Amino acid sequence: MYYMLYAICFPVLTGLFLLVFRGLKNRKSLLLFTAAALAGASALVVLALCLGQGGMLTLFNLTERLPVMFKVDGVSVVFSVMTVIVFLCAGFFSFSYMEHEQNEKRYYGYYLIVFGVLIALCFAGNLITFYMFFEALTLASLPLVLHKGGREAVMAGLKYLFYSLSGAYSALFGLYFIERYGNTLTFSPGGVISAEMAAKYNGLLLGIAFAMLIGFGVKAGMFPMHAWLPTAHPVAPAPASAVLSAVIVKAGVLAVVRVVYYIFGVSFLGGSWVQYAWMSLTLATVFMGSMLAYREPVLKKRLAYSTVSQLSYILFGLSVMDKEAVTGSLLHVLCHSFIKAALFLCAGGIIFRTGKTRVEELRGIGKEMPATIWCYTIASLGLIGIPPMGGFVSKWYLAVGALGAGISWFSWIGPVVLLVSALLTAGYLLPVVVLGFFPGEDACPGGWEKKEPSLLMRIPIFVLTLLSVVAGLFPGPVVDYLSRIIEKII
Amino acid sequence: MILLVILIPVLAGAAVFLVPFKRRSYMEIFLEAAVIINSILVWYLLMHRSESIFTLANFTGNLSISFKVDGLGMIFAGLVSALWPFATLYAFEYMAREEHERMFFMFYTMTYGVALGISLAANLLTMYFFYELLTLVTVPLVMHTLTREAILASRKYLYYSLGGAAFAFIGLIFVIIYGAATEFVLGGTLDLSKVGERGNVLLLVYVIAFMGFGVKAAVCPFNSWLPQAGVAPTPVTALLHAVAVVKSGAFAIIRLTYYSFGTEFLRGTWAQYVVMVIVMFTIVYGCSRAVKETHLKRRLAYSTVSNLSYILFGVAIMTPGGMVGALCHLVFHAVMKISAFFCAGAIMHQADRHYVHELDGLGWRMPAVFGVFTVSALALMGFPGLAGFVSKWYLASAAVESGNSLAYGGIACLLASALLTAIYMLTVVVRGFFPAGEAGSKELGQVRDPNWKMLLPLFVFTGFIVLFGLYSGPVVKFFADVAAGIY
Repeated sequence: MYYMLYAICFPVLTGLFLLVFRGLKNRKSLLLFTAAALAGASALVVLALCLGQGGMLTLFNLTERLPVMFKVDGVSVVFSVMTVIVFLCAGFFSFSYMEHEQNEKRYYGYYLIVFGVLIALCFAGNLITFYMFFEALTLASLPLVLHKGGREAVMAGLKYLFYSLSGAYSALFGLYFIERYGNTLTFSPGGVISAEMAAKYNGLLLGIAFAMLIGFGVKAGMFPMHAWLPTAHPVAPAPASAVLSAVIVKAGVLAVVRVVYYIFGVSFLGGSWVQYAWMSLTLATVFMGSMLAYREPVLKKRLAYSTVSQLSYILFGLSVMDKEAVTGSLLHVLCHSFIKAALFLCAGGIIFRTGKTRVEELRGIGKEMPATIWCYTIASLGLIGIPPMGGFVSKWYLAVGALGAGISWFSWIGPVVLLVSALLTAGYLLPVVVLGFFPGEDACPGGWEKKEPSLLMRIPIFVLTLLSVVAGLFPGPVVDYLSRIIEKII
Repeated sequence: MILLVILIPVLAGAAVFLVPFKRRSYMEIFLEAAVIINSILVWYLLMHRSESIFTLANFTGNLSISFKVDGLGMIFAGLVSALWPFATLYAFEYMAREEHERMFFMFYTMTYGVALGISLAANLLTMYFFYELLTLVTVPLVMHTLTREAILASRKYLYYSLGGAAFAFIGLIFVIIYGAATEFVLGGTLDLSKVGERGNVLLLVYVIAFMGFGVKAAVCPFNSWLPQAGVAPTPVTALLHAVAVVKSGAFAIIRLTYYSFGTEFLRGTWAQYVVMVIVMFTIVYGCSRAVKETHLKRRLAYSTVSNLSYILFGVAIMTPGGMVGALCHLVFHAVMKISAFFCAGAIMHQADRHYVHELDGLGWRMPAVFGVFTVSALALMGFPGLAGFVSKWYLASAAVESGNSLAYGGIACLLASALLTAIYMLTVVVRGFFPAGEAGSKELGQVRDPNWKMLLPLFVFTGFIVLFGLYSGPVVKFFADVAAGIY
């Protein structure tokens, strides 16, 4: 039972140790320490997933009726596996990348703390524990955004902070009411609101459900509270952008999963105005995010806008509240995190070796760093949703689910928006590939100089790209696992 | 015994002024000893309390000066006596560079006794007497630096407080005339048969008295004295203008609402809605002004304005749950805000920086102070696991429980204010640790963390912030008992 606690505390404590301890001046020993801490933490998470399943651990009570408790269920497994993989890859990538940055120790310290907090979010057994670590996540990840220092980073960091906090407070508003009307905050498949209460306080409960969706949606970059994301993600160092964009925003998705399927329940929210309002917002975000990405000239910013759009694919699937669609959503959680992490790491590799940030500067980049750009290409195809990549399978489930669900005219608007957005995705991702591999005859008369990043940077990119392909080629076991989770909640 | 704990600080204060101490350290030891002994006596008194009323003087009829140790008084007296020794310790270090030290310590220590007098008063008249006295002994503290600004501030403080007390006096008279009992009783002392047709008049009187006592608690139209009074030395701003003085305003309002008029009489009337709207407005107003303010101490003072109204919001819910929330915030806010103020004072003392924009990069020079400040900032904005979350939780769930839809709006105000709190507190933290420009760090020179006299109180308060945040059970249980009338 206590394995869960170890898996949470170990990275947090090692991170704090790095922040407080003045030693480890030698870069090599710092990297060794961090690598060991990351590996150890990942091993502990795996151990907790294997041994802790089904158990529940109540630590102590914040107040009389607010226990802090942890529990491992199917959803925790999906999210924590994703977290571990991306954190390992981005962590090893940063060993090479962070050479150029200052305050490396502080960076690794917060990196490890964020890892622990994310695991705690995955394992949280009730809404108050979740909320506690949700706020902690904002605060712990803030230094990653602030890392470079200077005015731009500070302004972006504060924007991130205030958007996230306003979202958290909007969610907290709901917590007060649910604790009262649902009588518990413990996650239970199918929801905690009894039919009697639901009938009595229908309007109020729907209102707070909406407030909570908007509130937690801030973290997932949902319109109208998405503006922080494209500002905050690109100013962080590339591996930090990768975990921000691939994993940390998924905390918002996890929150929405928990609130919708484990607190309110499909039977209460399905068919209500909240469902339709939420669905409209997600579709608006999908389209808007892609559109803004298409117009954005800076590569990392473009990828951040793409995150806005892709996250709302996931939220759209969740809002449909249909088995197939939710399967697609959870699958897209995995695929998107692998792909987006790979893309950000590629962008990081490009910055590291050439210092180029804008798309139009990347002419001939494919000749200079072919392996990186090949990975970028494959990952891009996955994000667009071209078979047999991972993104195709998840989008297929999303579209099929939407078409089959009884959600009136949304069941065809949804897939249409997804398709249009897929076209736009191709439009904003592929120019890098085209420019990179086909620079034109006169671009560089002297021949291309090889600028491939180091092996330590290439391997994480390979692994993530490979995973996104594997998820597309052999989705069977994962889909089976997901559908077993979903059986219980719908 | 009750008289003793009130008199010791007053006499000790007088002694500091009259007895010529050979060395400063003798005075320090004497004063600290007196304060600690008194605090021990207070806690002894609270633990072994007697139910009986101690009457000192009896005026005509049912007017008397009398004392009693009841639940609510225990909370306030316990809070004040727990904080005072630490604040005195801090004041020794802080005041080392200021003039008129002995005059300062005289009034500073006397205030302790007067605050205890307010908390242990058994009826409105006694409380009113000490309430006026509190104004008089604290005015010289505000005036301390004798600059033009300080004199203006203290004059404003005096006029506001006396004016407020005059309004409160109206309430006092009505409660005495229409009351059934002379001393405080949970649930109110109004004799409803005497009230008869005059219900609306009494409600109006309640609102007037609420605003009157609300002057000290910095309720909205009457809040401007508090940020101005921030010119006083930091120990005064921290202890008096974050705890003793302003909380005695909130304390008096609790006495007025729960122990004099009674919630049965007030709940659901227009008077409740009026005070609740005023309080909700103050919550948001105080925070907004704090965001705009660039002077660190004044910013914290505006934050106090807002947080005091959290307490009054709990009072205005007028249910036992609301009272629990109010009491929680009364105690927890005291610890959080005194900690934040002491940090601000330490920064002023060590680095001579007063404005927020001067703090760039200071966090790495004074890690302990900024660390403590960060904890208090997080606690004030209600980070789960720290004290502020717990009190906010009780306030909000009392509001939900009351089923009063205006109170739901109050929750929204609390959360909006939490966001604003994050803005005005965390910008300071971010500036301290992640300066936006490169310039700040060079000119800092030899700025360092202060010595143990300043740090010890900070660490103790931080410990309590975390302790209350993680394990508030027994304390809240006690508050609930008080609100249920068991004590």
